[in-house]
Amino acid sequence: MAERLANRLRAEREARGWTQAELAARVGVSRKTINTIENGVFVPSTLTALKIAESFERSVEELFSVVED
Amino acid sequence: MGDVDLVEKAERLGRKRSQIFFVLAMVFFAGQSIYFGAPEATRDSPPRVGAWLILVILMLLLLATGGFLLRGREVRHLLNDESARANRLAAQATGFWATILALLAVYVESMFDLVTLNEAVHIVGTIGVGAALISFAVRERRAHQLG
Repeated sequence: MAERLANRLRAEREARGWTQAELAARVGVSRKTINTIENGVFVPSTLTALKIAESFERSVEELFSVVED
Repeated sequence: MGDVDLVEKAERLGRKRSQIFFVLAMVFFAGQSIYFGAPEATRDSPPRVGAWLILVILMLLLLATGGFLLRGREVRHLLNDESARANRLAAQATGFWATILALLAVYVESMFDLVTLNEAVHIVGTIGVGAALISFAVRERRAHQLG
Protein backbone atom coordinates (compact mmCIF):
# COMPACT_ATOMS: atom_id res chain seq x y z
CA MET A 1 0.00 0.00 0.00
CA ALA A 2 1.37 3.43 -0.96
CA GLU A 3 2.04 5.98 1.72
CA ARG A 4 2.22 9.73 1.30
CA LEU A 5 2.71 12.79 3.42
CA ALA A 6 -0.45 14.80 3.95
CA ASN A 7 -0.32 18.30 5.37
CA ARG A 8 -2.53 21.09 6.72
CA LEU A 9 -0.39 23.95 5.48
CA ARG A 10 -2.99 25.61 3.28
CA ALA A 11 -5.68 25.50 5.98
CA GLU A 12 -3.35 26.90 8.65
CA ARG A 13 -1.98 29.58 6.33
CA GLU A 14 -5.40 30.69 5.13
CA ALA A 15 -6.71 30.73 8.70
CA ARG A 16 -4.04 33.33 9.43
CA GLY A 17 -4.67 35.25 6.22
CA TRP A 18 -1.12 34.73 5.01
CA THR A 19 -0.15 34.43 1.35
CA GLN A 20 2.26 31.72 0.22
CA ALA A 21 4.92 34.43 -0.19
CA GLU A 22 4.41 35.60 3.40
CA LEU A 23 4.77 32.07 4.76
CA ALA A 24 7.79 31.51 2.50
CA ALA A 25 9.42 34.67 3.90
CA ARG A 26 8.81 33.49 7.48
CA VAL A 27 10.28 30.06 6.76
CA GLY A 28 13.14 31.33 4.57
CA VAL A 29 12.29 29.36 1.44
CA SER A 30 10.83 30.26 -1.96
CA ARG A 31 7.10 30.58 -2.62
CA LYS A 32 7.46 27.67 -5.03
CA THR A 33 8.66 25.41 -2.22
CA ILE A 34 5.63 26.30 -0.07
CA ASN A 35 3.39 25.79 -3.10
CA THR A 36 4.80 22.33 -3.88
CA ILE A 37 4.62 21.24 -0.21
CA GLU A 38 0.99 22.41 0.05
CA ASN A 39 0.13 20.45 -3.08
CA GLY A 40 1.89 17.31 -1.86
CA VAL A 41 4.36 17.36 -4.73
CA PHE A 42 7.43 17.99 -2.61
CA VAL A 43 8.27 16.36 0.73
CA PRO A 44 10.14 18.92 2.84
CA SER A 45 13.29 18.19 4.81
CA THR A 46 13.06 17.84 8.59
CA LEU A 47 14.63 21.28 8.91
CA THR A 48 12.03 22.97 6.73
CA ALA A 49 9.18 21.04 8.37
CA LEU A 50 10.38 22.26 11.76
CA LYS A 51 10.67 25.86 10.51
CA ILE A 52 7.16 25.73 9.07
CA ALA A 53 5.83 24.34 12.36
CA GLU A 54 7.64 27.10 14.23
CA SER A 55 6.10 29.74 11.96
CA PHE A 56 2.61 28.44 12.75
CA GLU A 57 3.44 27.81 16.42
CA ARG A 58 2.29 24.24 15.93
CA SER A 59 4.01 20.88 16.28
CA VAL A 60 5.20 19.08 13.16
CA GLU A 61 2.70 16.28 13.88
CA GLU A 62 -0.16 18.78 13.81
CA LEU A 63 0.85 19.90 10.33
CA PHE A 64 2.09 16.70 8.72
CA SER A 65 0.77 13.16 8.81
CA VAL A 66 1.37 9.92 6.95
CA VAL A 67 -1.67 8.64 5.07
CA GLU A 68 -2.16 5.42 3.14
CA ASP A 69 -3.76 5.55 -0.28
CA MET B 1 10.94 36.82 9.48
CA GLY B 2 12.31 37.16 5.96
CA ASP B 3 11.46 39.75 3.37
CA VAL B 4 8.35 39.19 1.23
CA ASP B 5 9.79 41.46 -1.49
CA LEU B 6 12.84 39.20 -1.64
CA VAL B 7 10.62 36.11 -1.97
CA GLU B 8 8.69 37.77 -4.79
CA LYS B 9 11.90 38.79 -6.51
CA ALA B 10 13.18 35.22 -6.27
CA GLU B 11 9.83 34.04 -7.64
CA ARG B 12 10.14 36.28 -10.71
CA LEU B 13 13.75 35.24 -11.29
CA GLY B 14 12.87 31.57 -10.79
CA ARG B 15 10.15 31.75 -13.44
CA LYS B 16 12.52 33.57 -15.76
CA ARG B 17 15.21 30.95 -15.10
CA SER B 18 12.97 28.06 -16.15
CA GLN B 19 12.17 29.90 -19.41
CA ILE B 20 15.82 30.79 -20.07
CA PHE B 21 16.99 27.22 -19.42
CA PHE B 22 14.38 25.84 -21.79
CA VAL B 23 15.29 28.30 -24.57
CA LEU B 24 19.02 27.66 -24.03
CA ALA B 25 18.46 23.91 -24.39
CA MET B 26 16.50 24.46 -27.61
CA VAL B 27 19.25 26.72 -29.00
CA PHE B 28 21.79 24.07 -28.00
CA PHE B 29 19.87 21.34 -29.84
CA ALA B 30 19.36 23.59 -32.88
CA GLY B 31 23.09 24.30 -32.93
CA GLN B 32 23.74 20.61 -33.46
CA SER B 33 21.75 20.56 -36.68
CA ILE B 34 24.08 23.33 -37.88
CA TYR B 35 27.07 21.22 -36.82
CA PHE B 36 25.88 18.08 -38.59
CA GLY B 37 24.70 20.12 -41.58
CA ALA B 38 28.17 21.57 -42.13
CA PRO B 39 30.58 19.94 -44.63
CA GLU B 40 32.76 17.32 -42.93
CA ALA B 41 35.93 19.20 -43.84
CA THR B 42 34.95 22.28 -41.80
CA ARG B 43 32.72 20.60 -39.22
CA ASP B 44 35.43 20.27 -36.59
CA SER B 45 37.21 23.56 -37.11
CA PRO B 46 38.76 24.91 -33.88
CA PRO B 47 36.36 27.91 -33.61
CA ARG B 48 33.31 25.66 -34.02
CA VAL B 49 34.54 23.06 -31.53
CA GLY B 50 35.64 25.83 -29.16
CA ALA B 51 32.23 27.51 -29.29
CA TRP B 52 30.49 24.21 -28.57
CA LEU B 53 32.81 23.46 -25.66
CA ILE B 54 32.21 26.92 -24.15
CA LEU B 55 28.46 26.41 -24.50
CA VAL B 56 28.63 22.96 -22.83
CA ILE B 57 30.74 24.30 -19.95
CA LEU B 58 28.35 27.24 -19.52
CA MET B 59 25.35 24.92 -19.39
CA LEU B 60 27.04 22.55 -16.95
CA LEU B 61 27.83 25.56 -14.78
CA LEU B 62 24.17 26.60 -14.89
CA LEU B 63 23.09 23.09 -13.96
CA ALA B 64 25.59 22.87 -11.12
CA THR B 65 24.88 26.28 -9.60
CA GLY B 66 21.35 27.17 -10.67
CA GLY B 67 22.63 30.35 -12.31
CA PHE B 68 22.20 33.99 -11.25
CA LEU B 69 25.67 33.97 -9.69
CA LEU B 70 25.86 37.75 -9.70
CA ARG B 71 22.65 38.18 -7.69
CA GLY B 72 22.72 38.78 -3.95
CA ARG B 73 23.33 35.91 -1.56
CA GLU B 74 19.80 36.00 -0.12
CA VAL B 75 18.09 35.86 -3.51
CA ARG B 76 20.38 33.03 -4.62
CA HIS B 77 19.57 31.18 -1.39
CA LEU B 78 15.85 31.38 -2.22
CA LEU B 79 16.41 30.51 -5.88
CA ASN B 80 18.36 27.43 -4.87
CA ASP B 81 16.39 26.32 -1.87
CA GLU B 82 15.60 22.66 -1.24
CA SER B 83 12.85 22.22 -3.84
CA ALA B 84 15.09 23.76 -6.53
CA ARG B 85 17.99 21.55 -5.43
CA ALA B 86 15.73 18.49 -5.55
CA ASN B 87 14.64 19.46 -9.07
CA ARG B 88 18.26 19.96 -10.07
CA LEU B 89 19.27 16.56 -8.73
CA ALA B 90 16.38 14.90 -10.56
CA ALA B 91 17.36 16.77 -13.75
CA GLN B 92 20.95 15.62 -13.39
CA ALA B 93 19.71 12.03 -13.04
CA THR B 94 17.68 12.50 -16.24
CA GLY B 95 20.83 13.82 -17.92
CA PHE B 96 22.77 10.77 -16.75
CA TRP B 97 20.24 8.32 -18.20
CA ALA B 98 19.97 10.32 -21.43
CA THR B 99 23.78 10.25 -21.72
CA ILE B 100 23.97 6.47 -21.21
CA LEU B 101 21.15 5.83 -23.70
CA ALA B 102 22.77 8.15 -26.27
CA LEU B 103 26.08 6.39 -25.72
CA LEU B 104 24.50 2.98 -26.34
CA ALA B 105 22.71 4.29 -29.43
CA VAL B 106 25.98 5.67 -30.84
CA TYR B 107 27.70 2.37 -30.07
CA VAL B 108 25.07 0.42 -31.99
CA GLU B 109 25.15 2.94 -34.84
CA SER B 110 28.95 2.54 -35.10
CA MET B 111 28.43 -1.13 -35.96
CA PHE B 112 26.65 -0.13 -39.17
CA ASP B 113 28.15 3.23 -40.02
CA LEU B 114 31.30 5.24 -39.41
CA VAL B 115 30.93 7.49 -36.38
CA THR B 116 33.89 9.73 -35.67
CA LEU B 117 34.96 10.50 -32.13
CA ASN B 118 33.95 14.16 -32.55
CA GLU B 119 30.49 13.22 -33.81
CA ALA B 120 30.02 10.79 -30.92
CA VAL B 121 31.09 13.40 -28.37
CA HIS B 122 28.72 15.95 -29.92
CA ILE B 123 25.76 13.58 -29.91
CA VAL B 124 26.30 12.22 -26.39
CA GLY B 125 27.23 15.59 -24.88
CA THR B 126 24.34 17.41 -26.49
CA ILE B 127 21.72 14.86 -25.52
CA GLY B 128 23.02 14.50 -21.95
CA VAL B 129 23.38 18.19 -21.14
CA GLY B 130 20.30 19.23 -23.14
CA ALA B 131 18.08 16.61 -21.48
CA ALA B 132 19.20 17.69 -18.00
CA LEU B 133 18.58 21.35 -18.82
CA ILE B 134 15.10 20.69 -20.24
CA SER B 135 14.23 18.41 -17.33
CA PHE B 136 15.16 21.12 -14.82
CA ALA B 137 13.27 23.81 -16.76
CA VAL B 138 10.11 21.67 -17.00
CA ARG B 139 10.21 20.62 -13.32
CA GLU B 140 10.69 24.20 -12.19
CA ARG B 141 7.97 25.49 -14.48
CA ARG B 142 5.50 22.89 -13.22
CA ALA B 143 6.37 23.72 -9.61
CA HIS B 144 5.74 27.43 -10.24
CA GLN B 145 2.42 26.75 -11.93
CA LEU B 146 0.90 24.43 -9.30
CA GLY B 147 -1.89 25.47 -7.03
